[in-house]
Amino acid sequence: MSNQPIVKLVNVNKSYGNVYALEDINLDFYPGEIVSLVGDNGAGKSTLTKIISGTEGPDDKGQIMVDNQEVKNWNSAKARARGIETVYQNRALSEQQTIYDNVFLGREITNRFGFINRKKEIEETEALMRKIGYTSKVWTPFSSVNKLSGGERQGVAISRAILFESRLVILDEPTTAMALTEAAEVLEFVRNLKKAGKSVIFISHNPWDAHAVADRFVILERGKIVFDGPKGSMSADDFIALLHKFAKKDIKS
Amino acid sequence: MSEQKKGILIPERLKPVLGAFIFFVVMLAAFIASSPEVFLTIGIYSAVFLSLPLFAIMGMSLVFVTAAGEIDLAFPSIIPLSGLAFAWTLQQTNLNFILAAIFSVVVGISCGLLNGYLITKLGLSSLITTLGMNFALIGLTNVLNNGEVRTFEELNDTKIKSILVGSFGPIPAQMFWMIAIALVLGMIFHRHKFGLHVRVAGDNPEAGRAMGVNIERTKILCFALVGLCASIVGILGILLLSTYFSTMGEAYLLPTLAAVFVGGTPVTGGKGTIGGLVIGAATVVFIQTGVVAAGLDGQWTSLGFGLVIVLSLLGHRKFSGRLTR
Repeated sequence: MSNQPIVKLVNVNKSYGNVYALEDINLDFYPGEIVSLVGDNGAGKSTLTKIISGTEGPDDKGQIMVDNQEVKNWNSAKARARGIETVYQNRALSEQQTIYDNVFLGREITNRFGFINRKKEIEETEALMRKIGYTSKVWTPFSSVNKLSGGERQGVAISRAILFESRLVILDEPTTAMALTEAAEVLEFVRNLKKAGKSVIFISHNPWDAHAVADRFVILERGKIVFDGPKGSMSADDFIALLHKFAKKDIKS
Repeated sequence: MSEQKKGILIPERLKPVLGAFIFFVVMLAAFIASSPEVFLTIGIYSAVFLSLPLFAIMGMSLVFVTAAGEIDLAFPSIIPLSGLAFAWTLQQTNLNFILAAIFSVVVGISCGLLNGYLITKLGLSSLITTLGMNFALIGLTNVLNNGEVRTFEELNDTKIKSILVGSFGPIPAQMFWMIAIALVLGMIFHRHKFGLHVRVAGDNPEAGRAMGVNIERTKILCFALVGLCASIVGILGILLLSTYFSTMGEAYLLPTLAAVFVGGTPVTGGKGTIGGLVIGAATVVFIQTGVVAAGLDGQWTSLGFGLVIVLSLLGHRKFSGRLTR
């Protein structure tokens, strides 16, 4: 793609004590593409996303560039301000609250005394959910999240992520432990994110899900990037064979 | 679930209130059936209205704390300590009510802030911390008060007393104050972003933190609210009897907590209802007053409490699904 990258990582390293979680990561994320980030447990997927979303800082050497400018003291508030939103696996939603309360949590639309403007929040929630193709007929914005299926919950979390014009949405294992139909629903949300002009980093254990949505694959093994390339005409079987190749290499060494 | 099958759809958030209300009506019906001559006269209700506001105002603040996933057992001692501040200042200043009330509120809120600080910043268990503070604060009160009973008969015909705890026909003035406070706190709990943050703190604090909500500050403010309400209860209680004594908070612990849970606020946090609390408090106070009025020995009150609490929890579970777990 000819556009300039939203986020560019240059020689990023991260170590915990003397264990390297990430080694010399060079990676670009462009507007309007879905990147599937795959790799085994401990390969460094989570660490990498934490660094991009600002919840953890990288080691001193290496740079994080946003819109081709180096950023210093990167943190999650800054990341959000620059349009980078993260949907976390487990800590995304307050299940006993309503859908609209969750979508606007921490960024409530209020009058000047702090009372929530429910009408406006509900309207915007409905608009957001239409945008990502949220078609459930069962919910109303007043439904509490614990009444929703796993896929629908991800839908709430994802629509929250595109509130306030975010550009890059990081999805951390959004289909883990989901039934097939639920996962399919989530993948559809992800495709709609792209249609709405967002970039997505899709992190997954599941090679089929990762293949289904991706424009580009990044495979991590033991803290290093071992593959970074476009999906092109690669079939799901080819992709899985590729994953196996790296995994086998790993076992041999 | 069965929600879709039935004709009438009750909004989720109203279920606990409705549950508490149905329970209250059933209890009232049982009392009326057992001794109609007592419960069909206005006198018994006037008696209930006299003390109901005190339990309800105290309980409302506990709804905030409980919904935030914590518990506060220190309030029965904050009442007499902040009450002492009120009584002492009245005596020292020749009945300067405003000054006394301000000092009382400051003492109450300070106790709450201390609790909140210990629990959130030092990460102590709220159950044990406030249990300890309950002992510590009543101890402090006793040391400072030294067993004195302070009477304020000169307050009896003052304007301030009639405004706060006088009566409008059969209805004591404090009932109106209770309703006003319930409206304000209800709006804050259910419609203000602070209320939302309180509920999130008790449901999934990590979700709140991830979205930039200051969970610790939210919880500290909940404990401060308990301190504020305790001092209001202390002031009203002193005015009501024109007397201060350091055991004035003792009777509040169990009935107020019972009012919270009977009112439909689950002990597990993340949810709560101010409207339900008022009904729960009415239920609890009605048992206290009603058992004696029905001609039973006062010792039956506790048995009545126990039955009501357990039965109401069963009712809430049947009515609202996972509410009570």
